[in-house]
Amino acid sequence: MSEKVTMTMAGAINAGLRAAMERDPKVLLMGEDIGALGGVFRVTDGLHADFGDSRVVDTPLAESGIVGTAIGLGMRGYRSVVEIQFDGFIFPAFNQITTQLAKMHYRSKGHITLPLVIRVPFAGGIGAIEHHSESPEALFAHTPGLRIFTPATPQDAYDGIQQAIASPDPVMFFEPKARYWDKGEVDTGAVTSRLSERDATADIGRARVAREGTDVTVVAYGPTVRVALQSAELAAQSGTSVEVIDLRSISPLDTAAVVKSAKKTGRVVVAHEAVTTFGVGAEVSARVNEQAFFHLHAPVLRVGGFHTPYPGATSEHEYLPNLDRILDAVDRVMTH
Amino acid sequence: MDAHGPLSEHGLVRLLDHHGERLEDQTFSPYAAHLSAQDLRSFWHDMSVLRAWDMEAMSLQRQGELGLWVQSYGQEAAQIGSGHALRDPDFVFPSYREHGVAMKRGVDLPSILRVFRGLEHGSWVPSEHGFHLYTLVIGAHALHATGYAMGMDRDGLVASGNPEQDGAVVCYFGDGATSQGDIAESMTFASVNNAPIVFFCQNNQFAISESVTRQSKVPLADRAKGFGMPSVRVDGNDVIASHAVSQWALEHARSGKGPVFIEALTYRMGAHTTSDDPTRYREKASEEYWADRDPISRLTTHLESIGELPDDFREEVAAEGKALGVRTREAVRSWAKPAAREMFDHVYAQPHSTVEAERAWFDRYQNSFADAEVQA
Amino acid sequence: MPVFEQFKMPDAGEGLTEADIVTWRVAVGDTVEINQPLVEIETAKSIVELPCPFDGVVTQLLAVEGDTVEVGVPIIEIDVDPTGEPAPAPDAVPDASSETANQEPANQVLAADATVQSAHHSQSATQASADAPQASAQQQEGESGAVLVGYGVKAGSAQRRPRKEDALDPIGGEGEASDYPVKAKPPVRKLARDLGIDITTITPSGPGGIVTRDDVEQQSKARSAKSLATYPGDDQPWLESGTVSPNGRTTRVPVKSVRKRTAEAMVDSAFTAPHVTEFLTVDVTETMKLVARLKQDKDFADVRVTPLLLVIKALLLAVRRHPEVNASWDDASQEIIYKHYVNLGIAASTPRGLMVPNIKDAHRLPLHALAVALQDLTSEARAGRIQPGSMADGTITITNVGALGIDTGTPILNPGEAAILAFGAIRQQPWVHDGEIQIRWVTMLALSFDHRLVDGELGARLLSDVGRVMNDPSQGLVWA
Repeated sequence: MSEKVTMTMAGAINAGLRAAMERDPKVLLMGEDIGALGGVFRVTDGLHADFGDSRVVDTPLAESGIVGTAIGLGMRGYRSVVEIQFDGFIFPAFNQITTQLAKMHYRSKGHITLPLVIRVPFAGGIGAIEHHSESPEALFAHTPGLRIFTPATPQDAYDGIQQAIASPDPVMFFEPKARYWDKGEVDTGAVTSRLSERDATADIGRARVAREGTDVTVVAYGPTVRVALQSAELAAQSGTSVEVIDLRSISPLDTAAVVKSAKKTGRVVVAHEAVTTFGVGAEVSARVNEQAFFHLHAPVLRVGGFHTPYPGATSEHEYLPNLDRILDAVDRVMTH
Repeated sequence: MDAHGPLSEHGLVRLLDHHGERLEDQTFSPYAAHLSAQDLRSFWHDMSVLRAWDMEAMSLQRQGELGLWVQSYGQEAAQIGSGHALRDPDFVFPSYREHGVAMKRGVDLPSILRVFRGLEHGSWVPSEHGFHLYTLVIGAHALHATGYAMGMDRDGLVASGNPEQDGAVVCYFGDGATSQGDIAESMTFASVNNAPIVFFCQNNQFAISESVTRQSKVPLADRAKGFGMPSVRVDGNDVIASHAVSQWALEHARSGKGPVFIEALTYRMGAHTTSDDPTRYREKASEEYWADRDPISRLTTHLESIGELPDDFREEVAAEGKALGVRTREAVRSWAKPAAREMFDHVYAQPHSTVEAERAWFDRYQNSFADAEVQA
Repeated sequence: MPVFEQFKMPDAGEGLTEADIVTWRVAVGDTVEINQPLVEIETAKSIVELPCPFDGVVTQLLAVEGDTVEVGVPIIEIDVDPTGEPAPAPDAVPDASSETANQEPANQVLAADATVQSAHHSQSATQASADAPQASAQQQEGESGAVLVGYGVKAGSAQRRPRKEDALDPIGGEGEASDYPVKAKPPVRKLARDLGIDITTITPSGPGGIVTRDDVEQQSKARSAKSLATYPGDDQPWLESGTVSPNGRTTRVPVKSVRKRTAEAMVDSAFTAPHVTEFLTVDVTETMKLVARLKQDKDFADVRVTPLLLVIKALLLAVRRHPEVNASWDDASQEIIYKHYVNLGIAASTPRGLMVPNIKDAHRLPLHALAVALQDLTSEARAGRIQPGSMADGTITITNVGALGIDTGTPILNPGEAAILAFGAIRQQPWVHDGEIQIRWVTMLALSFDHRLVDGELGARLLSDVGRVMNDPSQGLVWA
């Protein structure tokens, strides 16, 4: 039954987790501090009280162990939703994620499916200390066998988490922590008709056009969609019509949506918090180059983190793609 | 050998010594009491066939039919002995050398060679055998084993009240693996979750060229204590003792008493793989010492001494081994190379646009050659 | 019937490429069985014993102890059906191995890479090398390159696999009909921009509907040549534009923008200032030599050097000697305004019409700077991007009629100026030089001037000075 509720993104994920757990008793939540504490961002708040120790599990402090045991549980049909407390701490689990989780279906020729979801609060802009503002999504997108999804809105967070859980493939669900407290309207009934394994997977593979435009395409995802939309608004005031694409899905990348827009405008800018070099922007640029070359008025430009470790919080707003840097790129492609 | 170090033979559970004499052990003899001569002949048969097959695989690699081979040679007793303690509800997570356990779990031995011939990465269906695929990242599977055991517990397959229905997980790994963080994490999760899992460490004394003395200062089984887990060190070349301790361990786990650690001290008679050269790091003296302690010859001696190894039986077993070798050779040489487009299969359970697009491109590309065969 | 099998040197250790034969354990004539030790080899990693893959009789050892043999090269031949009759020649027997995929005789397989480095070449190996060209065309996937399983990775065949016609996958994904703006490669877009052409007005002729370089260049020529059409009252094609009369014999086009302004300026100038034109024919061979030299000069590598550049310099030198021509008649205040600066105008034919942008303070610029300024001005003119500011406040102008192949002309002054120099085509002509008829580079200069403030004598001196520098550029040094 369709119902529109105003929620924060954190609340939307919480509600989505609850709905998924009510729907399927094999859905388990595992992670550090997700039980009584409700998670360091309170995303799992209240779930332990209602579902108990056996379904909301506070694990030992061992990321590799959390993912590895979730794999074993997955082999017995459990749909574990594992939380990695912060982006910067995913690396102890990198081996389990890339050599095991990503490859198990392939290795077993389809006999073993691992319907895990790995939730990762990611990205910066919250004034945090080292390792708490990382954007490692490209490392995982580069790994065949994983799906990568990142919501920019509470609606996509609510729908996306449920669809990720319903998908039979391993899904990495990157939650932009800077957006956790953004409020938005969420239609809580819309997703229930799209939860078959096929529909859910197809849905979490699609981009959305966040704003239509004709002069320049700005491609963004996760936390950067907001500033991309702000840039578009300002650009409109000086006569440049910017189309904003929210990728939502990094793997698979919705090439058709991006290329369609690129052919329409002939000018593309990709913005993301992650380090620019060897990042998602490079992949988008390569695909646009291959499929829309003859429509381009200017090269694809990327606006992203610099090739440095994430700096101290006092510099992060210069490091991250902000309004001025995105509009600078828009101006540059518009000179052609 | 240092009495307290990881190579120590002090305190090993042993029920059959290398002279072929039976020994008594207060704790574990009861777990071997049920073994008849028939059972011992069954052990002998399994170990002998396993070794013959393993040698055939070795030859096939040297003849260019396999890219690589990983011998189980020398470790037959630990694998057959523990394998015989397994029951249907149990599930095994091997590393990549446990061909003897594969055999006990009904995996057709020749099919294992598909992996080593480069045709695929896993060549049996785990759920059909209760035997997971080989995991080549050292120690990574121990976490899967632990999680699986936790799942079995959730599913009511442990201490159910019906011992025939109860199951446990056996996770095999070597001495080198015990240095990996994932092994420690497995034992952490297993212990705090009281998971029904037997950690079975085959200490074959080498991690490629590195002696176990580089992996630990103390016997490997001592680590279990740190996790609150009971442990036992057994002579891994003694099939009777290996079987007995495995019986004990599996009953412990199946009955809900939690995880157990078994260290089976054995010896890797061959090289790490066919790419290795033990002459660079191993003393002939140690190879000779352990050849004297060969798992099959001590049982042969014992069975002969009690008149339970008739010639016709030996000939039967030898013929069976040889026939298995021939069948393996023919199978290997008969396997067709899979069509290249199959490399796109099973990356995901549901269609993924990148894979679909690349496969479609690959088909067009393959079709663009003048000598292209029409693909069905 | 004997059946010969060959055992090829395997890759014993994951990526090895060769091995040495250390010790043969068998000899020709020995009966051997499967898995019997055959030979000891030494690889980069270790010493390894190779077991026999066949039951039969050894007929040839194809390598000797001490040989280094590449992976994939046969080392021994065994007759696996020794009870049969002897075969006529060892290399003519088809391979009867169980591998159904193997089509050609065993000794041709991988023969292209046979490099047994030994003085004792086996007959089979030599025969195999000779057969290599035929073998390569039939190479199946297993032999054509990266052979896994035990035979290591070889550099692939040196030949391309032949393609079908129309084999290429088009760039740009599936060709969907696109109703999006025009497709063109970046260099073509730039060309259109440089030529001042709106690329969306061009009909594309390239594959997939792409505008090509040719399309742009055609459009550019067509612009200059004007589009023609036929009208009902006249079967000859005429200019296409404007309002055609009902009988089709005339077209009315409103006078607008640049055309209108040009007309006004010409009228203003021609019917206000009394124009006189003086002519001078000059041997400019030395100038041409200087141009050639400057083109090779690395200091001028970044600019275009043309005779026009030197005409500009010559005129500037002449103006310095006769600054009274660099002036303007102010009829309203009844004053002559002498300028202390030279803003040198260059008459330019642009896509929008005739315009005269000028080089500001040209009198201060050294030659290279003049070249840069001229180049900038030229490209702006071509792109139709001349700003009004560049056309303001000119003090003297050059019109390069020679660029159109014309000898000379009687130019009309740019309003507000007192002199304009027409620079004609430079041609090789017979000329008297050093008392002899020689072939020299010759051009005509024409100077029109405002006779209210420039007398004939002043004009003549100016023109003469320009001529002198062009005839002998070293005169510039004297007057500098």
